[in-house]
Amino acid sequence: MSEPRELVEHFFRHEFGRLVALLTRSLGVRHLDLVEDVVQAALVQALETWSRRGVPEDPAGWLYRTARNLAIDALRRERTHARALPRLAEDAGRESPPPEPQFADEIGDEPLRLLFVCCHEAVPAESRVAFALRTLCGFGTAEIARALLTTDANVQKRIERARDRLRELDVDFDAPDATQLRARLDAVLAVVYLLFSQGCHVTHGDEPIRRDLCNEALRLARMLAAHPAGDVPAVHALLALMCFHGARFDARVAADGAIVLLGEQDRSAWNWGDVREGMAWLAKSAAGDELTRYHVEAGIAWEHCRAPTFADTDWRRIAELYDTLDRIAPSPLHALNRAVAEAYLHGPRAGLDHLAAVLPESVPARYPGWHVVTGELQFRLGRHAAAGRAWREALRWTTAGADREFLRRRLADCRPDGGTHAAG
Amino acid sequence: MAKFLFIYRESTESSAKPSPEEMQALAGAWYAWMQKFSSAIVPGGDGLKHSGRLLKGGLVTDGPYVEAKEIIVSFALIQAVDYDAAVAIARECPPGHTIEIRELAGYA
Repeated sequence: MSEPRELVEHFFRHEFGRLVALLTRSLGVRHLDLVEDVVQAALVQALETWSRRGVPEDPAGWLYRTARNLAIDALRRERTHARALPRLAEDAGRESPPPEPQFADEIGDEPLRLLFVCCHEAVPAESRVAFALRTLCGFGTAEIARALLTTDANVQKRIERARDRLRELDVDFDAPDATQLRARLDAVLAVVYLLFSQGCHVTHGDEPIRRDLCNEALRLARMLAAHPAGDVPAVHALLALMCFHGARFDARVAADGAIVLLGEQDRSAWNWGDVREGMAWLAKSAAGDELTRYHVEAGIAWEHCRAPTFADTDWRRIAELYDTLDRIAPSPLHALNRAVAEAYLHGPRAGLDHLAAVLPESVPARYPGWHVVTGELQFRLGRHAAAGRAWREALRWTTAGADREFLRRRLADCRPDGGTHAAG
Repeated sequence: MAKFLFIYRESTESSAKPSPEEMQALAGAWYAWMQKFSSAIVPGGDGLKHSGRLLKGGLVTDGPYVEAKEIIVSFALIQAVDYDAAVAIARECPPGHTIEIRELAGYA
């Protein structure tokens, strides 16, 4: 982590949201565009300056001061925004970011606070997640589009709508009260979970898992659970789910960076401390009478952790849980996973039948997982030509380096004659 | 409600790596325990690696700790009304550990 470029990339992920959150607190949400611009500019400046002169002693403080000064300059140029200047100038005397206020009921964490602002009820529901991923995590439009299974243009539109609404309302960035916190909790959890999923299933680039994103999601969720308004079963269930998934990270990536599928993972390499923590959260999540999608997904993840070997996995239980999940939160992904469980229970043909039965028009062609599974089931039936077709289709839509490599290997396994010595 | 730290110790001879089956059975037993005492357990307890560093008289050495018959393998944080309640919860932990139970001083 000594190379300036690496360090700036590290800070981009870690500090983007925090810097935006800190500056938005001084400037107000109406200046969000400006804040994002200056934070981006500060990161670019860091890359240039640090390469030439070395990394400063307090990189986070350096970034904050640079972004703040850029904001002051920009506001001076636009006298119309003079109202915000005094608040910012007040901070200018300080050498490091202002201390975070700690009131009993206030959220003592800037990114978490900004997350609640992004999930303001005035922001259209479909905009909140996209907007939060953009503002808080510095995700690009394309990245968000892949995470939400939608198009770039759509994401752009959603983000703009969110910004417009917040600007119109001139929303106060200060702490929402407990009732508002509770009302926004669902949207906040959706963002945290998406952030984690994005880290788990990297959709482009060469890193198979982005632990920084996963850790940030875990950090935000733990902060939530520590807050009176967030100390609820849904949050505990989400934490359990993330701990169970996180426990498998070390076993999920081979030495050469390729993804190791669950069936081939060395279970003794799982992090049993994470499993233990997950179990404690899962136990806590059972306290209420509410069954959320996070409870069900945590239950599925727990079933995988509980099985001594892949062959011992209780697929019947997992299939039931996916049925429940699809009722609570219908999604082509849940139907897809249900088909996988079906294939382990009753064979690949049953899995394919299930896929054909649930294949809705809503499955985006560009969602590669569908084709990956289809290919796998066809392959296990000995239909190599059909498997090859499905995997080539998956390859067309896959941008993650590790996934592409995995698909290429699977394609190489297909016999060129497209053999049809069907097994069953 | 007081908080108690459970310190789990194992004999240094039992550090052989359990098989995945043993580990899973253990996980199941622990899960049952956690279900039962879910309202008492503060999440975040964790297993500890078996070797570490020792700082003594300004001198840092590597583990293992030759004089020790037992090593600390994990910890948990428990809420309970008093020592009796905490001991009752500890009694139901899956077997195989010595469990040291210490109340947090709560200076905060």
